Amino acid sequence: MFNGSRTSIRSRSRLNFSQPELNNGQRRHKPDHWILIYTLVLLVVGLVLIYSISPALADTTGTSANYFIFKQLLAVGLALVAFLITAKIPLSKWRKNYKWLMAAAILATLVAIALPVNPNYPAHRWVRFAGLSFESVEMLIFAILIWFAHFLALRIKNGSIKSFAKTVKPILAALLIIGGVVAIIQSDLGSTGVIIAMMGVMVFVAGMPMKRIAIVASLVVGLGVVAILAFPYRMARLETFLHPSANCQSTGYQACQALIAVGSGGATGLGLGSDVQAYGYLPEADNDSIFAIYAEKFGFIGSVILLAVFASLFWRIAKVAEGAPDDFSRLIVIGVLTWISTETLINIGAMIGLLPLKGITLPFISYGGTSVVFFAAAVGLVYQISRYTSHVSSRSIEHLSRRAGINDYSSHGRRIGGAYNSDLSGRS
Amino acid sequence: MPVTLSSKLTSGPGRIRIWSVLLVAVLALFGLRLFYLQIIRYGHYKQAALSDQLKQYQIPATRGIIEAEDGSSDVPIVLNQELYTLFADPLFIKKPNQVADQISQIIGGNPSTYASELSAKNTQYVVIANKLTQSQNQKITNLQDPGLDTQGQDYRVYPDGSLASQVLGFVNNNGVGEYGIEQALNPILAGKPGLLKAITDVNGVPLAASKDNTQIPPTPGKNIVLTLNLGMQQQLETILANEYKATKSQGLSAIVINPYNGHVKAMANYPTYNPADYTQVSNQSLFQNAAVDYPIEPGSIMKTLTTSAALNVGAITPNESFFDPAQWVIDGFTIHDIKQDGGAREQNIQSILALSLNTGATWMLMQMSQPGGTQITSKGIVTWHNYMVSHFLLGQPTGIEQGYEATGYVPPANLGDPSINLRYANTAFGQGVSITAIQLVAALSSVLNGGTYYQPTLVDKIISPNGQVSINKPKVLERNVVKPQVGQELIPLMEGVVKAYLNGGFSFMNFPSNYIVGGKTGTAQVASPSGGYYSNIFNGSYIGFVGGNKPQYAIIVYNIKPSVPGYAGSYGAQPVFADIVHMLINEGYIDPKS
Repeated sequence: MFNGSRTSIRSRSRLNFSQPELNNGQRRHKPDHWILIYTLVLLVVGLVLIYSISPALADTTGTSANYFIFKQLLAVGLALVAFLITAKIPLSKWRKNYKWLMAAAILATLVAIALPVNPNYPAHRWVRFAGLSFESVEMLIFAILIWFAHFLALRIKNGSIKSFAKTVKPILAALLIIGGVVAIIQSDLGSTGVIIAMMGVMVFVAGMPMKRIAIVASLVVGLGVVAILAFPYRMARLETFLHPSANCQSTGYQACQALIAVGSGGATGLGLGSDVQAYGYLPEADNDSIFAIYAEKFGFIGSVILLAVFASLFWRIAKVAEGAPDDFSRLIVIGVLTWISTETLINIGAMIGLLPLKGITLPFISYGGTSVVFFAAAVGLVYQISRYTSHVSSRSIEHLSRRAGINDYSSHGRRIGGAYNSDLSGRS
Repeated sequence: MPVTLSSKLTSGPGRIRIWSVLLVAVLALFGLRLFYLQIIRYGHYKQAALSDQLKQYQIPATRGIIEAEDGSSDVPIVLNQELYTLFADPLFIKKPNQVADQISQIIGGNPSTYASELSAKNTQYVVIANKLTQSQNQKITNLQDPGLDTQGQDYRVYPDGSLASQVLGFVNNNGVGEYGIEQALNPILAGKPGLLKAITDVNGVPLAASKDNTQIPPTPGKNIVLTLNLGMQQQLETILANEYKATKSQGLSAIVINPYNGHVKAMANYPTYNPADYTQVSNQSLFQNAAVDYPIEPGSIMKTLTTSAALNVGAITPNESFFDPAQWVIDGFTIHDIKQDGGAREQNIQSILALSLNTGATWMLMQMSQPGGTQITSKGIVTWHNYMVSHFLLGQPTGIEQGYEATGYVPPANLGDPSINLRYANTAFGQGVSITAIQLVAALSSVLNGGTYYQPTLVDKIISPNGQVSINKPKVLERNVVKPQVGQELIPLMEGVVKAYLNGGFSFMNFPSNYIVGGKTGTAQVASPSGGYYSNIFNGSYIGFVGGNKPQYAIIVYNIKPSVPGYAGSYGAQPVFADIVHMLINEGYIDPKS
């Protein structure tokens, strides 16, 4: 499906970027199909879960039995389209147009904030149009991913990554704006956390000195504490998290029911069609709580397999990051990895009582079109980049780079060295 | 420039590895946590899940119906009818106004009220209407609206309206009998509900088959056939309603009982109520069957039992005469007759009953103390106490199948009490004791039938759901209440009372000569809550029998605080008795003398 077409290579070569090393001249090989396979496995798990709890969802929401599965099938269809788009359209184009992406995301965010809330959409997070709803923050994260990778790659290139004025200050400003809009106006602390984690790991990988990172981190933590203390409902959530069983009938209801769902699954689970908690006991069974429903159905064995699938996906993406051909794509991949993994960890952590509830979806599995589409788009970027990885491990790069100019580029932009090693040819 | 790339990112791949190892480590930690939750703590969470999810439901058992004799066959007087509760899940109601109009067309009512109920927020269960009929239910079902549902429930229906309501009692909204037969025989009528244990959704709707589901089918209740004769009951209730007005009564009770087996043939009180509308009754005392749960000081009708006891112990003979001083001073108090006609003179047993001489009743207690004596002694007190409590079973529930049967009160034979003689002299003419109508008529029945105390009963037969009939055999509580001859001696004495009243101008006491009718009036002082007795308020009572060759029915009447131009017994209770006897004779309930 993704066997390269000549047009795409040509179009890449025509790009007139100021960074000639970007993709240009990188040897194309087969993408990492495992990334696609793991993603599809997770999407299918999500569809099966949502289909199996459809009767319960219909029962508690007053919709027809097939409403949820049809909407989710549509979402998965859109997600595959999004994947194709991001996998096909060259990364350089995404980078070139980061301002437009950012503008669109900001516009979507402003529309979401401007739209009045209603009982079904209690926070300023959704853009609703013609019966469809769209969560603006997912688009914002995607736009931040591209912009920030560009921002950091540029700083790396011109050697100002350690500069306080040129790098740290803009990052702090961005964090303040994002925190103010997403955490306070949209009251979406979970997504804010995901964005901060994503940017943080990108900065970390970009090679910012630990001292600088520590300064920024302490500021972020300080603001985070303020963001929690300033809002009573967040304090209540924290209190609930710290003493879950004391609040089982009130604020801790969802947390308790999630633990009951997970624990009562036992070793092998109740079976696909025999779960109970989705029938009104566990709120958000199709969404934030879907891991608990999964754990109830498939038990410890099934849950560990699911964790293993996530771990494998993360590991493959990390491998792509390690072998990424340039700073920008490396940062994109690490951003995607952090985005997906943080949401996964926050979501599952809450379901098993290790983290407070945050209203964060489980990537690829939770019901909800926006989340599925943008995760698929993010994976599409990684998939595209996985065509251009150099298979040399980071250790050997360092090892070789000490001996010779292995990372030197030829005059027409081809890298000399590793990419042409014979052990690589087996990969393509 | 290309050279700088690697040096700028030297830390990059290492840091990527740190991050990816960290991610996998956290996922591994999650795995450990899952092991703790799903393996180690599985039992705890399974239990927690079941305590939320596993709910027990009673499957209601069909309640037994109640029948009674009507002519030659048994007919139902309490039936079940399935009525339906209409409820809605507003979540599924897409067009509340339209649905409200449809509902209103079927069951009436205000569509806008329904519309607001159908659009209720934050609930998935709203009761729209109760007690829909079968056809209304069918029409609602035909709407096929996914947001509407109905639930059938059995309600009691009463084809005869208020007939025998206080004997029957009613069934409350929880399906539990209250008052009367419904309460007393609730376990038999109710049957045994079945049990459904099922895993349910959060609203309690059972989910599809689960291995944790169990079901025990219900056992239907048994049908009960009462001893009541419906025709007689109907007539008795009419009599009470009329006499209630005529005597300006504050409460009227009467019992017609077969003295040979304890079967109550009619038992009624006035005022009464319709059990179908029990929820609209504000005065809860209407639910009470006063004939069994309202003990009073019965007054002089007690003298029939005093006479029986004295005859039985041989203290007196039926024809014995004595000098009545018209008053006795006992424990410093003077007992005299309510009817002070004639003053001190020679009297006999017949005249004690006919004139209702309290001095005579006291004299009989003196004879039980010491034949020929004029003192009350401990022997007399102990003897009379023993007769009241152990022979006539007064001051204790009879065990008739009624809710809230009263105990009544007989003073203990406490010989240390300085006024015990006075206290017991009072009991000899029915004051200072508290006795229900059913206790007294059951006791007299035992004398009339020759000395066997049958437990009064309302239950003739119990019919199992499979059709098996179990006859309620007469239950003997006491075999030797009195010797058989005492009944034979008392019957003419009580007939003499009726004749005396007839001769005294009570023309309604004139009965056909081929029937025997005997009786005794009672005019009882009413104790004041502040101590002592009211001087101008009396309860009227009457006890008697009617039959041909032998007494066929014993009858008792309690008339609470009637307002009549004479003694409450003679003018308040006696006319009721006369009405009942005339009715029984006229309607052919009595076999005449052969």
